[in-house]
Amino acid sequence: MFSKVLIANRGEIAVRIIRACRELGIRTVAVFSQADADAMHVQLADESVCIGPPPPAQSYLQVPRIISAAEITGAEAIHPGYGFLAENPQFAEVCENCGIHFIGPPASSIQMMGDKAAARRLAARSGVPILPGTEHPVRELQEARRAAREIGYPVIIKASAGGGGKGMRVVINPEALESALATAAAEAAAAFGDAGVYLERFLSDPRHVEFQILIDAHGQGIHLGERDCSIQRRHQKLVEEAPSPALTDSLRQAMGQAALSVARAAGYRNAGTVEFLLDERGDFFFMEMNTRIQVEHPVTEMVTGIDLVKAQFRIAAGEPLPIAQEEVRLAGHSLECRINAEDPDRFLPSPGKVTNFRPPGGPGVRVDSHAYVGYIVPPYYDSLLAKLIVHGRDRDEAIARMQRALDEMLIQGVQTTIPFHQKVLRHPDFLAGKTSTRFLERLAQEQ
Amino acid sequence: MDLKELKALLRLMEGNDVEELEVEEGGRRVRIRRRPVPGRVPPAAMNPAPPAATSVAATASPLSPMAAAAETAGLIPVESPMVGTFYRAPAPGAEPYVKEGDLIQKGTVICIIEAMKLMNEIEAEVKGRIARILAENGQPVEFGQRLFLIEPA
Repeated sequence: MFSKVLIANRGEIAVRIIRACRELGIRTVAVFSQADADAMHVQLADESVCIGPPPPAQSYLQVPRIISAAEITGAEAIHPGYGFLAENPQFAEVCENCGIHFIGPPASSIQMMGDKAAARRLAARSGVPILPGTEHPVRELQEARRAAREIGYPVIIKASAGGGGKGMRVVINPEALESALATAAAEAAAAFGDAGVYLERFLSDPRHVEFQILIDAHGQGIHLGERDCSIQRRHQKLVEEAPSPALTDSLRQAMGQAALSVARAAGYRNAGTVEFLLDERGDFFFMEMNTRIQVEHPVTEMVTGIDLVKAQFRIAAGEPLPIAQEEVRLAGHSLECRINAEDPDRFLPSPGKVTNFRPPGGPGVRVDSHAYVGYIVPPYYDSLLAKLIVHGRDRDEAIARMQRALDEMLIQGVQTTIPFHQKVLRHPDFLAGKTSTRFLERLAQEQ
Repeated sequence: MDLKELKALLRLMEGNDVEELEVEEGGRRVRIRRRPVPGRVPPAAMNPAPPAATSVAATASPLSPMAAAAETAGLIPVESPMVGTFYRAPAPGAEPYVKEGDLIQKGTVICIIEAMKLMNEIEAEVKGRIARILAENGQPVEFGQRLFLIEPA
């Protein structure tokens, strides 16, 4: 096991990583910007090194300073956390070249999965379903008709050269295809100077379901079940749960194996997450792979009993996986609410000084946070202030526990999204397990 | 108050760790507030707790804050622009670039910071005299750490 590790991150994840290191007997080095000199991760680490002024580009993204900090402190490994340099293949490569262990997958896997189109092709080659679509723009009507029939209606027509909703048309049935193609192409030509359009299966209201995988250095891989992260605002996850209310055991098995296939095809090692979209018919489609530990990893930890960050260190140190797939058990139900320092109605950031911080407690409640009374939330970084995680013997108990914990939680001095979560956790659709990626859109329309 | 005077005021504030300064002169008032650099972790925090032999030495000032401020009044700090190891000379055994009392020009190389096996020459930004050397040869330094105090000419 490593004797000293540098944590190339900040905030709650840096605290999380330091906690795992403590339990493994690993000495810790924190790096910090001048805005984070009093941050919790700096206080908890054994050593700390200032790496620059507040802006991330001048501090937490400064590869030479971070490597240098590892060298002067004698750190043998760097854990990149999530965000910042966690999925930067050049950083992983620099670590490898400097003889520093990068706690994560090989640089080549990061590179491969970072190219989203290449990742889709890899998934397809591995026999994993991807959202059906045309590989190249369609040139004329017959080709389009054929493609749409193969893909399956409803299809969406998208401009090859653009985005922002221009040159997009949803086609529910074959009769509407011809005119939709014509108008989409005309719009695309007008907006982007290129009339090229391609077709893709349209999912009207999918769920976002992702699978946690672990692969060790000896080629053994397991999946630890799924997380349902459908509650998102502008593609930012806000509430996550494990297991997903929509999955049956057989679907879980199929998706879990698909996740492992994609990861193996990418030469993956260590912890990773494979994201799928799940439609109302129970068809799942590979979207992308995240080659890092994720924000919402705690819900998987709560239902499996496996410490994922410790697993990352163990895998990086060459240890074999602690259990086989048959021994993985998902027990009970877990929910996580991301508490951000934001206005709960308009989600605008709310930096400032935390004047009161009273986290909830009691059975089945976990709080992952770097906040403390007197902590000044800086304006330079993301607004995640705390993750409130609960576990219960089933979904109903987990919900009751989360409602109780949210009501108990007190943060003053900055605005937080606690009131928003309280609303979500009382919404009839949420209680019924009817969550999908348009849940928040519908919630907003109800106000 | 012209730009030159404002700059001098800013240097004065920096050199004394003053956060806010208000000056009234000839009916015009200027208030300058610096965003304070929160208490940096002193070099001692980079030492492992066990008393193993290391090349890192703490340079905690023995002066009280007031006395320290008086001592550094008017002096311009040279802060490390990178993370690495501080060296006073171009090579082991060679003469140090500068000693306390030496006169320097803008652009004079005053030390080396080694980072990732590269030797980076650090140049003075002002003309003046080396008043204090705050880091020791071979000491690991962090971003923003004070290395020298220069009395501007």
